[in-house]
Amino acid sequence: MAEQSIVIAGYAETEVAFKSGRSAYDFAGEAFAMLLEATGVEKDRIDGLSVTVPLSECGNPFYAVYTTEALGLSPNWLNYGGIGGCSATGGVARAMSAIRDGHCEIAVVLSGDAPSTQWGARYGAWRGEFQDPVGILGPPAAFGLLMSRYEHQFGLKPEALGKIAITQREHALLNDNALPRFKKPLTMEDYLGSRMIADPLRLLDCVMFCDGGNAFLVTTEAMAKKLGIDKTVRPTAYAEVTNFNGNQACPDVTENGFSELAPKVFAQSGLGPGDIGSFHPYDDFTIAVMMQLEEFGFCRRGEGCDYVLATDLSYQGDVPLNTGGGQLSAGQPGLASGGLNLAEAVRQMFGEAGERQVANSRTSLVTGIGVIPYARNWGTSTAMILEA
Amino acid sequence: MSEQEAQRPVPKANAFVPTDAFWQATQQGELMLQYCLDTGQFQHYPRPVSMYTGSRNLEWRQVSGKGTIYACTVVRVPGPGLEGRVPLSVVTVELEEGVRILGNVLDHDPETVAIGQKVELAWDRIDDEVQYPAFNIVGG
Repeated sequence: MAEQSIVIAGYAETEVAFKSGRSAYDFAGEAFAMLLEATGVEKDRIDGLSVTVPLSECGNPFYAVYTTEALGLSPNWLNYGGIGGCSATGGVARAMSAIRDGHCEIAVVLSGDAPSTQWGARYGAWRGEFQDPVGILGPPAAFGLLMSRYEHQFGLKPEALGKIAITQREHALLNDNALPRFKKPLTMEDYLGSRMIADPLRLLDCVMFCDGGNAFLVTTEAMAKKLGIDKTVRPTAYAEVTNFNGNQACPDVTENGFSELAPKVFAQSGLGPGDIGSFHPYDDFTIAVMMQLEEFGFCRRGEGCDYVLATDLSYQGDVPLNTGGGQLSAGQPGLASGGLNLAEAVRQMFGEAGERQVANSRTSLVTGIGVIPYARNWGTSTAMILEA
Repeated sequence: MSEQEAQRPVPKANAFVPTDAFWQATQQGELMLQYCLDTGQFQHYPRPVSMYTGSRNLEWRQVSGKGTIYACTVVRVPGPGLEGRVPLSVVTVELEEGVRILGNVLDHDPETVAIGQKVELAWDRIDDEVQYPAFNIVGG
């Protein structure tokens, strides 16, 4: 991104909870209040808002407008982000564009969702006729198919995926916001013994839906200074693609949106994989993490298993991976999910990660994945590089 | 037919785009898919326009139902419409006509279904009137 003067000038994240009994509005509101407190920004200074479409409230097409009422905001720019787990990073990028175009000066990117309390999604489209009858009712079966193809082309070592799950669990133990039920270490025996959900996908390869919220403040560097905010990070690269290979009937499904995005974000930032201080890939499934390690050039495609087994992915290691536990071990707060990876990246770069603080807090790479399509990999991919 | 099979929801035609041609063909034991007349390529699932050109110059054409398993899994978790069906073999089949379709393999132990196996069209009875395209392993 050419404009390097726009920054993320604050973040907030609620605890995640399973069947909290609370609404998306309430989690978003909590994150919003936390953000105001953390940044010291007065509510009425906020003139831009990006709201993530939540699973729990998506039956209401006016959720974003209702949210402005709920928060007492009168924004001059309002975005309703419907790219699932990409909505947080995508929301920041859209807020940056809006600020650059002069629509607003101080934007909040807000995500709250409570799908373990209330389910509001009805996907419709082709699914009733061409997907549901086959028995693909959700993401695990689709990812079982994807994993099988990866295994066929490159081989799959379950211990490598297990190591991703175990490493992230170790990180979750150090994260106060993680789901209480994940506050116990995981062994390789636990991983390998976890039941098959959709072969070769095991239970411990998957996230668990829960409830939660997060928020980010986006403004210019000059405005952040004026507001007395001293901690900021600069998104110096962003790229996004939806429906990758969407005009091909028979693409290689192990090739994915990140194959296109990785070269773009590295070119925009002038950085390479070796410069990344911590890596926060969207982690709905362990295989998605491994495929991203490959696409972002930490290793070559097909060599992810050996790479993971040979590399220290802990917060103290060579490539600190989802240092808050990620969604796999902190819990997936519905479609507020992408903000969980982003919040941890910003937290690390603000030097606020406590016991799990990484050594290199100058750079990080955050990604998003959104939506599971028909017989492919995933719908939307986003990648963002942050620099101090 | 078992009682469990009888509980499966019958898909509602025309919910997304007009699909009467597909459903009428299933009654004859034929698989019809959407075909782009401009590029000579099939697409599945059916769409409002050609995913190749964006035009509506589409028609329904019969396909052989012969193909190769491109990806395969075994769904083991029960859910709506899966009563009595798990463990269920779910596969992506690449048809000879150059298009992929999701389906179930009916005639095999799901554990023995593998990528690369040749399949042919089979029919899965949802109720007395409706049958749904599925696959059997060739020579299985």
